[in-house]
Amino acid sequence: MTPLSVAQTSEPAALDTAAAPPARPFRWRFLLGFVLPIGAAVLWEAAVRSGIAEGRLMPPPSRILATLADLARGGELWWHAQATLARVGAGFALGVAAGTALGALAGASGLWRALLDPTLQGLRAIPSIAWVPLFILWLGIFEASKIALIAVGVSFPVYLGTLGAILSIDRKIIEVGRIFRLSGPALVGRIMLPAVLPHYVIALRSGLGLGWMFVVAAEFMGASEGLGYLLVDGQQLGKPAQIISAIAVFAVLGKITDAILVALTAPLLRWQDVASRS
Amino acid sequence: MLALNAVSKRYPNGTRALADISLAVNAGEILAIVGGSGCGKSTLLRLAAGLEAPTAGHVQVDGEPIAAPHPAVGLVFQEPRLLPWLTVAGNVGFGLAALAPQDRAAKVDAALTRVGLADYAGRWPRELSGGQAQRVALARALVANPRVLLLDEPFSALDAFTRVDLQDHLLDLWADTRPTLVLVTHDIEEALVLADRVMVMRAHPGRIAGVLTLDTPRPRDRQSATFDRAKRQLLADLGRAGAYRSGEEAFPAAAI
Repeated sequence: MTPLSVAQTSEPAALDTAAAPPARPFRWRFLLGFVLPIGAAVLWEAAVRSGIAEGRLMPPPSRILATLADLARGGELWWHAQATLARVGAGFALGVAAGTALGALAGASGLWRALLDPTLQGLRAIPSIAWVPLFILWLGIFEASKIALIAVGVSFPVYLGTLGAILSIDRKIIEVGRIFRLSGPALVGRIMLPAVLPHYVIALRSGLGLGWMFVVAAEFMGASEGLGYLLVDGQQLGKPAQIISAIAVFAVLGKITDAILVALTAPLLRWQDVASRS
Repeated sequence: MLALNAVSKRYPNGTRALADISLAVNAGEILAIVGGSGCGKSTLLRLAAGLEAPTAGHVQVDGEPIAAPHPAVGLVFQEPRLLPWLTVAGNVGFGLAALAPQDRAAKVDAALTRVGLADYAGRWPRELSGGQAQRVALARALVANPRVLLLDEPFSALDAFTRVDLQDHLLDLWADTRPTLVLVTHDIEEALVLADRVMVMRAHPGRIAGVLTLDTPRPRDRQSATFDRAKRQLLADLGRAGAYRSGEEAFPAAAI
């Protein structure tokens, strides 16, 4: 082993600690994300206008915007969006209630879990659309069967997320609660709920995403209003601009409702921000 | 006074973690517990904290039986175990929910001042260093003025400098209210710097192998000849208790 030479220890070269960190440049990079969609839209618009492409089945952006404007002016757009939103809202509420209750039960005790989980996992394996004929027989072709389908779709990710979140609570944190003599509702309220919340919000978000997916399926099965109806109607009457308009509205509404969910829960998860900031 | 009377602990899987332990820790005394892994020293602490119940015998604090966590007994874990969704102040005041907000705030502030983190009240646990987080955990345990404070390898996850710093700090804190301290540690120097008595345990099943009494007044000089003698004595005791395999003179590097 080489003996450590003391002579080698010297004052470190003066580090330039005084220099200010470089000012962070304005980040243009996020704009890159717009290049492809906007570029494609502009190219397509140009191609159709110059007559290179026909644009009958794939209408150019200007025609889609005009269709959207027409639908909006007539009040139709709002009418259809409202119908769809109401269905998603009702189905989401029911699905979250059921998924949360079942997840909490299964998470609360091994006995409940052994009783519930195999059946729920089995039901989950069924593609939810397969329920459609049965729901129509049971609940008719109107709102009830649609909301039921959405609720089923929403409930599984919420159930799984709730159960997983409860099972992943650190036992060491629960012990902290016990040391401070918490038990029962106090332990649940002061330790378990806050510990579960971040996972639960993610479960809600994936549930909401599935809710939007299933509302389309529900509206395909015979609706006289709703964005899904606009899709079917656009297909049957050969109006591609209407189909793309409806798709665009789905995208916007899906994003907005997700953002609302995130904004509503953000104050409860403020402590998590620290990690991303530092 | 913390007393264990003929305490045994056997886990459902048949492991005998503790066999017939009797022990009395005087009020205001600092007792360190050392021993090899599996000697039941952490189990002993968990029994004293009321987190687990003994299979036989009983645990008492000032004559009161401890069957469940007790307000007179505080516990600091190896990890800070701060609740990440509460600020530093929220964590320290966690056990004071029954107090009026202004009383709680005053106590929390006093406790944070004592551990030197008064300016950190509004921070989140994720923003703290390991040493700071463990000081918050100390404040959380001390804020209720426990008569007995149990520490389960509280500084073992910290770097050497922070550890020495916190050992000195713990002595200062102890000097304020003089609670009974029971400290489980792997660190022989830590035991010798802090404790009035060092209890050596042996494993399979967990028993008391011996108790070393230290008369040198604190603060103790880690470089002194007395300290060195005590260290040799304790290492020999630990060797006899089977905490590590030793030759006649050759201590394993890790133990020194």
